[in-house]
Amino acid sequence: MKHQNYRVFTGVRRASGLATGLIIAFALIQPAWARQTQAGDAPAAPATALSGYMEFHLNKLERRDGTLDFHRFVLLVTHEFNPRLRFVSEIEIEHAVVAGLEEGGELEIEQAYLDFLINRAFNVRAGMLLVPMGIINERHEPPVFYGVERPLVDTVIIPTTWFDIGAGVHGEVGRGWRYRVYVMAPLNAAEFDAEEGVREGQQHGSEANVGRVALTGRLEYVGLRGLTVGAGFWSGRSGFEFRPRFDVPVTVLEADVRYTRDRLELRGQFAQVSIDNAALVNDTMTLRTGVNPNIARTLRGAYGEVGYRVISGARMGDVGLFTRYENVDTQRRMPDGYLPLKAFDRDQWVIGATYWPDPDVAVKLDYIVARNKSEVVPAPNSFNVGLGWWF
Amino acid sequence: MTRRLAAGVVGAALAVGSIGSGRPEGRPLHAEISVQVGGEQVVDVTAERFSFTPSEIRVKAGTRLQIRLSSEDTDHGFRIPGTDIDVRIPKRNRGTKIVAFEAAKPGRYTFQCSHVCGAGHSFMRGEIVVTE
Repeated sequence: MKHQNYRVFTGVRRASGLATGLIIAFALIQPAWARQTQAGDAPAAPATALSGYMEFHLNKLERRDGTLDFHRFVLLVTHEFNPRLRFVSEIEIEHAVVAGLEEGGELEIEQAYLDFLINRAFNVRAGMLLVPMGIINERHEPPVFYGVERPLVDTVIIPTTWFDIGAGVHGEVGRGWRYRVYVMAPLNAAEFDAEEGVREGQQHGSEANVGRVALTGRLEYVGLRGLTVGAGFWSGRSGFEFRPRFDVPVTVLEADVRYTRDRLELRGQFAQVSIDNAALVNDTMTLRTGVNPNIARTLRGAYGEVGYRVISGARMGDVGLFTRYENVDTQRRMPDGYLPLKAFDRDQWVIGATYWPDPDVAVKLDYIVARNKSEVVPAPNSFNVGLGWWF
Repeated sequence: MTRRLAAGVVGAALAVGSIGSGRPEGRPLHAEISVQVGGEQVVDVTAERFSFTPSEIRVKAGTRLQIRLSSEDTDHGFRIPGTDIDVRIPKRNRGTKIVAFEAAKPGRYTFQCSHVCGAGHSFMRGEIVVTE
């Protein structure tokens, strides 16, 4: 093992006096602040970096042909103007081909923001941002989670990858208390549906309506080794597309915990979406399109997961086994006059394994035993194999 | 067919797991994170997407601080802006990087990850608080 030792005897400037709560104020002071940067602040690594992650999957549903899907091809381009001013971007191609229609795949700018790193407790961020919700949305590189596909809760309750345009502040105080608070473009209730809830309501920073911005935030504690406990919220008004206009207040709440001790990893998450005036949305959309979207007023999901590395630190790499139980209901509580679609009250057991030949490469397989409450619509089990990597 | 195939693969994985090796290195995951050794303060810092633990290190001015850096996942960086400290932390199970730091006067010294490690890379920051 090679050790490098460094000694530093000079004091370092303190930036805390430059903190400001306004982006405009920050922009005004930024030139003077930048001049204070010392020669030693120059990054040793290249200022512009390319990294990314990819994953492709084999999905075999019961009684159906298997599919091979290059699910995600993501490139991160980052640039460090100086150690206190960064640009971060994440460009994603989903399902390999972008053919102009959603069915053909998606090309998305998932992140593209400037980070003004003022001090540890207070920093300013603006651009295309990830909503700070749940375990997966901000931490979704394939080698860091068990399972070929992301958890169902992180798909139809928290619509990962959930991103939109906005600005806000983030920081950390004490021994591991972190916060982020952003204002962002709201969800569009005209795109909500019964199966995937608010997922299709994201505006994705594309000429996004910001007549009434949404507020989102997260508080988490990372002060104990291996433990992350967090809770997040999102609150916005999503009825801007309806004429005559009416309010559709939407609230998303979640709480999550992740604990890693040596080979063991435990995860748990709960999330709930509340949609006010869901009946009015259903009535309006039925008049507009002729199809009732049957949107619920409450959507809820939770999961618990146990993973264990049965091989760790071997020359051949690591092997982990896991199981996860999920319960998701996107028709949890319906507005008066609407009945829930029982096919969307789902639960599933996932059991599988991950092999890491390198900490940044994951070969995954799992089997999903799926159930729903419908007596008509079946919930097929599935076998999945995935290959994902980060570089 | 699908169930039989899945059961076979999971069974094989379990069989491989049962002959798995032990952890080769005594990486301190939950040991004390700060010890005093002959006037030198030794701190174990773990890097993981996207945090350092501990993220706040308190020392008295003039103390020689030895920071032992290891990763729980990918490789990370450790940089203290304004100094010449900028090292690469090796990936999980691939060793520890040691950095020595001595602060002559009280102040707050921010450290941060200097190697892009994922979507939350910018959150990876911490602070050395040097007191009188």
